[in-house]
Amino acid sequence: MTPRDRAAPSPVTALVLGWAIPGAGHAYQGRWGKAALFFILIVGLLVAGFALGRGTNVQRGEWWFAAQVGAGGPAIALVPLSKHFERQGPIDWADPYREMGTLYTAIAGFLNILVMMDAYNKLAHPHRPSAEEAA
Amino acid sequence: MLEKFTGFLAHLVSGNNPLWLYYPLCAVVAVVYKATKFDRPGKILWSALHFFVTVGLGMLALGLVLYVLSILL
Repeated sequence: MTPRDRAAPSPVTALVLGWAIPGAGHAYQGRWGKAALFFILIVGLLVAGFALGRGTNVQRGEWWFAAQVGAGGPAIALVPLSKHFERQGPIDWADPYREMGTLYTAIAGFLNILVMMDAYNKLAHPHRPSAEEAA
Repeated sequence: MLEKFTGFLAHLVSGNNPLWLYYPLCAVVAVVYKATKFDRPGKILWSALHFFVTVGLGMLALGLVLYVLSILL
């Protein structure tokens, strides 16, 4: 292995960074524009969903959390906040805005998984043509 | 039937209908999904717009079909 090979960015590192902070996998590759776009959209969607759910819809015990945790660090950071807001008063489980907010947070998690896979693939298969190049 | 349909449309366009929130969600999904496929900003924007319009109209059509079925059944 040459020093140049050792310096090459690792796809697994991009995957893990992309999970911890949405867009960080792309920032690691120097694709700053996409990194900023993904961070703003995914974290924005997560926070918007959290606000729509009155801050009570990112909880570890719920099935939705399996999807929400795809958004990584920001989703995990919202768990204690969710616990805090839950203690403020009873949750209206039938509130359609809360349901919509939960959906927003879950979709944010799924979208981040897609973004992580993109960051991984660009490094793992650098010579594979993109959809743009193939067209 | 027509009264029910106008009632449905009035509910759909009313400001307090949470169904409108599907559209910003659809826009974010469109931009993120297309940004993973393309690199040029112009290409991302146009393909995301195409995706958004297609899915948006599809959701509207599906909503109408379900509404008509709910009246008939």
